[in-house]
Amino acid sequence: MNDMQWTHIGAEPLPPPLPPTRVDFSGNRSEFRKLVTKGAMLELVTFGFYRFWLVTDIRRHLWTHTAIDGDAAEYTGRARELLVGFLFALAILVPIYLAYFLVGIEFERWQAFASTPLFIAFYAFGQFAIFRARRYRLTRTVWRGVRFWMDGSGWAYSFRAMLWGLLVLLTLGLALPWRAAALERYKMRHTHYGDLRGDFEADGWTFFKRGWWLWLLSPIAVVVFPLAPFFYAEFKAREWRWWLDGIRIGGVSLSSNLPHDAFYGLYWKVIGWWMLLTVAFAAYMGGSAWLVVSLTGVSAEEVFAGDNATKSIPMVAMMVIGYFALALAINIVMRVYLQRDLWAKVLETVEVHDIGAAADVRGSGQLAGALGEGFADGLDVAGF
Amino acid sequence: MSDVFAGTPAQSERPTIFFDGVSSRRRPVTLTLSDALEIVEDGATPVLWPYADIRRADSPPGILRLAATSAPPLARLEIRDAALAAEVAARCARLDEHRTTRSGVAKIVGWSVAAAVSIVCVVLFGVPLAADRLAPLVPQPVERRIGDAAEVQMKTIFGRSACEDPAGKAAFNKLVNRLRDAAGLDDTMTAGVLPTAVPNAFALPGGKVFVLKGLLDKAENPDELAGILAHELGHLKHHDNMRGLIYNGGTSFLIGLLFGDVTGSSAVIFASRSLVEASYSREAETGADTFAIEIMHALGRSPKPAAELLFRITGKEGGSGLTNILASHPLTEDRLARMTKEDRPASGPPLLTDKEWQALKGICGSGKV
Repeated sequence: MNDMQWTHIGAEPLPPPLPPTRVDFSGNRSEFRKLVTKGAMLELVTFGFYRFWLVTDIRRHLWTHTAIDGDAAEYTGRARELLVGFLFALAILVPIYLAYFLVGIEFERWQAFASTPLFIAFYAFGQFAIFRARRYRLTRTVWRGVRFWMDGSGWAYSFRAMLWGLLVLLTLGLALPWRAAALERYKMRHTHYGDLRGDFEADGWTFFKRGWWLWLLSPIAVVVFPLAPFFYAEFKAREWRWWLDGIRIGGVSLSSNLPHDAFYGLYWKVIGWWMLLTVAFAAYMGGSAWLVVSLTGVSAEEVFAGDNATKSIPMVAMMVIGYFALALAINIVMRVYLQRDLWAKVLETVEVHDIGAAADVRGSGQLAGALGEGFADGLDVAGF
Repeated sequence: MSDVFAGTPAQSERPTIFFDGVSSRRRPVTLTLSDALEIVEDGATPVLWPYADIRRADSPPGILRLAATSAPPLARLEIRDAALAAEVAARCARLDEHRTTRSGVAKIVGWSVAAAVSIVCVVLFGVPLAADRLAPLVPQPVERRIGDAAEVQMKTIFGRSACEDPAGKAAFNKLVNRLRDAAGLDDTMTAGVLPTAVPNAFALPGGKVFVLKGLLDKAENPDELAGILAHELGHLKHHDNMRGLIYNGGTSFLIGLLFGDVTGSSAVIFASRSLVEASYSREAETGADTFAIEIMHALGRSPKPAAELLFRITGKEGGSGLTNILASHPLTEDRLARMTKEDRPASGPPLLTDKEWQALKGICGSGKV
């Protein structure tokens, strides 16, 4: 094996640095839209249980249509793993919730509302879950027949996240760039592709320099509504670019020229859809109220006053249907714009340098269980 | 019989690439389709994949990506030539065996609906039953500890310590003891008045009843207050706190499970929880009212004054359909109507003398709170 490696590299004797390779995303937008539409409907009829299958399908779509140096990645995770992970996480979380309740009572006996800080324990647990969920996703990510994997400890990560979080709180958010850098460094240094080790070289100071004025102006954005999406879009674009610039895996490095205004369109489209859907929902409610009144002959006052519950049942049913349709539509919009389009937009700006370093990597690392994703789901901190 | 595609110009344009699942090296290969799929790399021993082991892996359009169950799990063969891909695919009978089919999706839907139905049944029938059966079995010390914790909280909200005027306290104790004896509760229960202007009263787990000064101020005679106290004793007698605790804990957990969020934060969870919990709470309140009526009758007094006191505090409550469904208590006017029906002329002695009643009104001292 070893001499094959040498012959391979020898075939291209250390050339002048190769031009950076691009990352291509070839996913078809309408195919993705159909995928999430069908998924959202199934989520509805399954009371949400379909989410494990949907999230798996979304990842499979995004991963397989992402090609680095001409070779597409692959997501090998399966929904059944997520379901089992979720059930296991429940089995662990239930006793924890009970213990939380009992400890809370003892605290309250001692001093009213003394148990409030206990929720911090859940925050710590959430950070642990975020780390472990990332590990699951990464070990299901395969490129050129070799998987990514992670070591490191979820609790060590959680501990760091907590300390940095405290610092961010004390500095009113100023320490945020350094927190992001420190946590990303921990995650990336424990990330591996085969026998290549990851690293994160961006520092908090760079991030700070790119975004400090946003921090300064953020109180204005809170007051003046139309500014907030712009600010958030600016912040996210700067954060993404900074993050991508810092990523290293072995000798391979990434860079991105994501423009600062890259996400304006995306966020405004989502807001536009929100408004449109809300208006449509209001119109639907008005229309169905009119329909109920004119069909049943019950006066509008009675439909809403509802001293007699049976008279308001048609209206309540229409409301529930409308609510679910709204939730479904918003789900689709969020996934198409904020997952698929954002993914495509970011990837088209990415350049990969020295990809040759990943030309002959030995596979290693074990598959991680889906328990972390289960916790993340149970604690409501699930990511992509 | 074997088709050999080796070295044809068409293939070199759209190369077939093999990843052996051990290293990330791209290996340009040629395929020989004999009894098994032969993957031939220049200068290496061919790799054999039996057709029956070959499965399709996710791939972008234009590439057929294959894996084999007998090969290393991440070994992949990528065929970019459409004709060759079709040729290979035709031989692999079990290519798509592992993929989720339409019936697979139907199965997911079926199981989810079954799970949802069973969860709903448990919420509607199982949890109330469990709460009713378990609540009386909760050991006294546990109930008391929970009550202690709640008491500390209540006192933080409603004033540090209970009112202690000796004459007022004596009158209050007399009233409470008469009600307690009629209710058949043991003497572990305690009662007190908290100095706050909010007109309310509540029972805590472990036999603690608190009347807030605001209610006392609005009460015009001992019967009004007694009816309210009897209602709270009804909650104690029925273990309503523990029942509510078990019931609310159980439903929020199960509904959270249903919608996939154990902490229960989203709107759907909130709405459905409010609905079922409110109906359960209304039932408990009606039960406590029934109990209060019985006690007041047993003491030879009318339950009606208590409802009149309530009505003075809340006014007419009947509003839109939604608030009725979500209300945690029965509407005051309905309660007043019920108590009026149960109104009987007093047959027993007054519960407190005028002097005792005046002392009770001044239990928190003469000053305003």
